[in-house]
Amino acid sequence: MNVRSQISMVFHLDKCIGCHTCSIACKNIWTDRKGTEYMWWNNVETKPGTGFPTRWEDQDKYHGGWQAKDGKLELKSTSKAKTVFNIYHNPSMPTMDDYYEPWTYDYQHLFNAPEGPDQPTARPISMVTGELINIESGPNWDDDLGGSPIYAANDPNLKGLSAEQQAQLQAVERLVFFYFPRICNHCLNPGCVAACPSGALYKRGEDGIVLVDQTRCRGWRACVAACPYKKVFYNWSTGKSEKCILCFPRIETGQAPACFHSCVGRIRYLGVLLYDASRIEEMAGKPDEELVEAHRSLILDPNDPEVIAAARANGIHDSVIETAQKSPVYQFVKEWKIALPPHIEFRTMPMLFYVPPMSPVMSNRTDGKIEHVSEDLFHDIDEARVPMQFLANLFGAGHESKVRYALRKQKAVRWYRRALTVGDVTMETAERMLREADCTKEEAEAIYKLTSLCTFDDRFVIPPAHREEALQMLDGVFEHKQAAGFGFISGPQRGM
Amino acid sequence: MRRNWMREWYLAAGVIVGLVAPWPAGAQKPADFFRQNCMSCHTIGGGRITGPDLKGVTQRKDAAWLEKFVQNPKAAIDGGDAYAVQLQQEARGVIMPTIPGMNAEMAKAMIAFLDAESKLAKSQFAGGAISDRPLTAVDLALGRELFYGTKKLANGGPACVNCHTMGTVGGLGGGRLGPDLTLVYARLGGRKAVGAWLVAPATPTMQSVFRGAALQPEEILPLLAMVEDAARQGPAANQSSLVKFFVAGFGGLTLGLVLLGAAWRGRFKAVRRPLVHGGMRGEE
Repeated sequence: MNVRSQISMVFHLDKCIGCHTCSIACKNIWTDRKGTEYMWWNNVETKPGTGFPTRWEDQDKYHGGWQAKDGKLELKSTSKAKTVFNIYHNPSMPTMDDYYEPWTYDYQHLFNAPEGPDQPTARPISMVTGELINIESGPNWDDDLGGSPIYAANDPNLKGLSAEQQAQLQAVERLVFFYFPRICNHCLNPGCVAACPSGALYKRGEDGIVLVDQTRCRGWRACVAACPYKKVFYNWSTGKSEKCILCFPRIETGQAPACFHSCVGRIRYLGVLLYDASRIEEMAGKPDEELVEAHRSLILDPNDPEVIAAARANGIHDSVIETAQKSPVYQFVKEWKIALPPHIEFRTMPMLFYVPPMSPVMSNRTDGKIEHVSEDLFHDIDEARVPMQFLANLFGAGHESKVRYALRKQKAVRWYRRALTVGDVTMETAERMLREADCTKEEAEAIYKLTSLCTFDDRFVIPPAHREEALQMLDGVFEHKQAAGFGFISGPQRGM
Repeated sequence: MRRNWMREWYLAAGVIVGLVAPWPAGAQKPADFFRQNCMSCHTIGGGRITGPDLKGVTQRKDAAWLEKFVQNPKAAIDGGDAYAVQLQQEARGVIMPTIPGMNAEMAKAMIAFLDAESKLAKSQFAGGAISDRPLTAVDLALGRELFYGTKKLANGGPACVNCHTMGTVGGLGGGRLGPDLTLVYARLGGRKAVGAWLVAPATPTMQSVFRGAALQPEEILPLLAMVEDAARQGPAANQSSLVKFFVAGFGGLTLGLVLLGAAWRGRFKAVRRPLVHGGMRGEE
């Protein structure tokens, strides 16, 4: 057992209202610089939809992530040999058009336009070329099903759905969507780190945050191709790659990352998980249907004395172990099993988990009257408008059982709380549903509390940073003290 | 500053080398000069090749005329000198080239040399080194080998095909740096003239290449056989080889692109644009 600690996340999709506040918070802090205009370290996608960059989930095109060949993991985009041949031209790079060409507007024209018969307008100007452009797409172009006959209809997660189910998703007055906010997953088995020819990407030992060393990065962009979530971006101005840093300067000072802090729907949870690093490769090579369970098995019980002893032996501070014991992420993922990793079939072992969303019941429209399939307030989850297979493609590598389990438990908790507070359903029924959903009353209460009544401190259990100990892992402290101190700070730039 | 000094040094060195370089040619002995520059067109007592036999030339014209003519033959012809024009007609229109290194001093030395050689019973430049025997099929086969370089030249000179082509050269033809040799017999005036040329090539390019690697008489005969054969067969095949050359070039390029396209068919192309503009619709 090789115990390490990782700051992990849960996004509760049932609570996301798609307001993009997280994206803006992130943009204002990190990606408002030259060369980063098109980057959205945090973005919110509408599902069904093609996301950002367009159809990023389609790895037949983008070649991101890992594939298991006879239990051995290989990157799809590159290998030692391919790195040599593709070093000056990485063939699996998304084009600017697949992200979007960032633009601003010619606002000055509103003030400086000569007098004329029409209102002056601020025309869009490309932030790359400075020329006037016709805007063809943006980072959330398909937001709220915008252009859905093209975008939503081409969501890669529709794979395996019958033509009827797909038609239902599109039908007017029955169509449905939910939001899917995304940041870097800070994976346990990151493809970006493995692909980098310069060794510029690394996973921080103390908290598992994946970072790009801006002085070592040579801009080969192998990481951009290798990340299946397309969350590493190339800065055309500095010639280096950049990605979500999980606001580590904030985390180190005990604050939640900006996107977490600003979240209006309070959908985001952050906490420490202890995991077994020695079994990552074995677990990431399992067949698709076992992956969710294999991934979960890597996460260790922070209350287990054996785990605690192994953690201490690995230099994990007691205060970190304590925060791991209070981690909301651990509860969602490991105890309640209602949070699931996105696209685990990419085999990067993402450490951002999603609670799959409930959706309204299906309905029929006959003679101008809308009839619901079920009259129940909390209908059967198989009659939900978002087909189970769709969610399974997103959160279960195409297999429904884990998603069904998570949704059933959520539904049982709703029934239970309805029986307690409103009383129009009997407690007997509620208890039966809890039993069927593998949930106790205490657990239901805890889920309810952490979902609905969670305070700031419940949601974000941030471990003390202990930078001094992190340094000890890499360096002699006294040597570091001599070498640090006063110096010159220079920003990343092109060239050696 | 240091850099500028270096540049001036290089410049100075270049100028010095440029001044010094022609000297050895100027300081050459007339016999060596004749062997290198004149022998391919002239004999001394061996009869006309491309140019006239130079035996007794000093009796035919006075030294002053010869000196002037030999330094710039073309000027003499253009100047309308009757004898010079007659010489040109006799040489079937070939104008004697201006020889590098033929200055007034060398011209004087050369005329003295010709005078001396003419008085000998048999000059070393009387020609006739190349045998007159009829050329055989064996010669032709050997000539091909030498021309194509499958058999190396004895003194290590490069094979003819590197720079020359002929009507009888198959495939894509030979090199195109030097002239096409199909009709060289007609141009230079027959076997004897071409043979003399091969003994001592007269162009600066050939000279610099074959200076240390002269052809052997037993190599010249087979090559003559090859040239003769080409002259007999004519230039028709040569034209088609040029067309073939371009067709093969374009064909090869197209094939190469197709192969690369096939090898890279899984490469990333745009996603959003084809999706929106119809290319990918209905794929799911």
